[in-house]
Amino acid sequence: MRVHTKMLIVLVLAVFMAATEISASTGGNSRCIQCHGNHAIIAKGGGHLYIDPAKFTGTTHEIIGCTSCHDKVGKRHPDDRIRPSRANCKECHAAVYEEYAHSLHGNNARCADCHNPHAAKPLLSVSGRDINVQCAKCHDGAKTLASHSQWLPQAALHIDALPCITCHTGSKNYVITLYIEKREKDKPHRDFEPARYEDLAKLLPAAKKTGALVDSNEDNFISLDELKKFNRGARYKGMRLWGMMTPEVATHTYQILDNRWDCTFCHASGPEAMQTSYVAFPDKNGTFNRIPVEKGAILDILYGTPDFYMLGATRSVTLNIIGAIIVIGGLLVPIIHGTFRILTIKKRKGH
Amino acid sequence: MQHEEQIYLTPMPVRIWHWLNALGIVTLCITGLQIRFPEYVNIFGTYKAAIRLHDTAGITVSISYFLWLFYYIFVGGNLLKVYFPNLDDIKHGLVVQAFFYFFNYFLGKPNPHTATPDNKFNAVQKLSYLAIMLALLPLVIVSGILLMNVAPFRGWITMIGGIKFLVGAHFLIACSFVAFLFVHIYMATMGHTPFAHFKPMWTGWEKVTHQ
Repeated sequence: MRVHTKMLIVLVLAVFMAATEISASTGGNSRCIQCHGNHAIIAKGGGHLYIDPAKFTGTTHEIIGCTSCHDKVGKRHPDDRIRPSRANCKECHAAVYEEYAHSLHGNNARCADCHNPHAAKPLLSVSGRDINVQCAKCHDGAKTLASHSQWLPQAALHIDALPCITCHTGSKNYVITLYIEKREKDKPHRDFEPARYEDLAKLLPAAKKTGALVDSNEDNFISLDELKKFNRGARYKGMRLWGMMTPEVATHTYQILDNRWDCTFCHASGPEAMQTSYVAFPDKNGTFNRIPVEKGAILDILYGTPDFYMLGATRSVTLNIIGAIIVIGGLLVPIIHGTFRILTIKKRKGH
Repeated sequence: MQHEEQIYLTPMPVRIWHWLNALGIVTLCITGLQIRFPEYVNIFGTYKAAIRLHDTAGITVSISYFLWLFYYIFVGGNLLKVYFPNLDDIKHGLVVQAFFYFFNYFLGKPNPHTATPDNKFNAVQKLSYLAIMLALLPLVIVSGILLMNVAPFRGWITMIGGIKFLVGAHFLIACSFVAFLFVHIYMATMGHTPFAHFKPMWTGWEKVTHQ
């Protein structure tokens, strides 16, 4: 019993010390950011040392503090001219590191080639397009399109509507994420571009979050009515919602998955699998905040998602019923007319 | 006194077009069924096979449609006469013909319309085929071409009202074609014998009875 009490005291002390250390580290961030978050460092030729404070703020790496990774920063830094130590990603992310090392990417790109440690964001706060921008750093867009076009119908459309990791990692739990796109109202011939925070913020009063553009009652939930209302007016405001099929969980097992050659993997998943969707709004720091949308909204006949449709998977039940009525109407003509025809055979033979 | 006469009602290019179109439309309907309901219908093995066949049949029907239009406008030169109802058709023909189909036919009375090369169709047929050949078929072709090329035509699709609207229109027009197919095949059996109207669409010659 006494041993247990001692262990508990040690444990509590350890947690307390760790917490104190973290808080000290976080507090230390501001000293680092004073120089590294200042554009002056770029002018002095240290562009690679610049850290964008807006992007760094809120990241897990900011919370654990600069000195967690750069633990050997001398008191006289930078005048001591000693380059501070840098942690290896493996030290904290051992499992991911191991998984990645065995993937097709393992020998071709380092962690930092895709993830800026000073702007590392969780998967769900990165837009599908931004994920693909990372891939396009190495994978030339035209070549990617050409190689996919060899087997994939409408390859350009698929590439636009899917983050690469949807098919090329062992991702799980797909949802539809809708992003606001905009174009200048008086230039309808222009292509839509992903809307930035600044584009959306200017459409709302200063106190409002960008989510209020669609979530008009600001209850952090987008009903089908709110979605329809936004979509009905969006065109006149030079906006639209672009849907992408995004994974909720991604792995680092970069690979070519056999089942992704089969279109039915996505297209025959049935409307039941396509119930969950979100609208993702850009934030000041370049991340995205998702607001859940009413279940089944993407299956709505017209205005739920006028610019998003997945063959076979997001068909509207209402439209199916209307279609069935038309077909049955056609079928009833021979059935009813044919019945009278049979019943009047004798009468007609008399003439 | 009755006498029978054989008239050359359907020229060969029109017959070739008709059967090519028929094959294409039936293929489009069946592949379309698999494309819309893949978890219930799998006739063509893979989803991609159904899409490829649907696209091929769609292109075939589109080309065949433009050949038909070209033939009727520039070679036959009788598109207006054959397909557009005239004033008399609208004033009397529609009622008389509908009355025949729904009433007089069952009494064994003769068809009020006699087909000639320049007046092949009765008023009801003219109106139906006009809607199909000059409205529904062009619409299903245009929507199909846009749906086959979503990325290049995205601007146009947005202008129309979005891909949902386009898919909905394509689907409902396709359902109308299925409905038409049932009615069309059934009505083709309403000649003086059940196959009397099928033969001329194969041979070109129709037997016409004069009183």
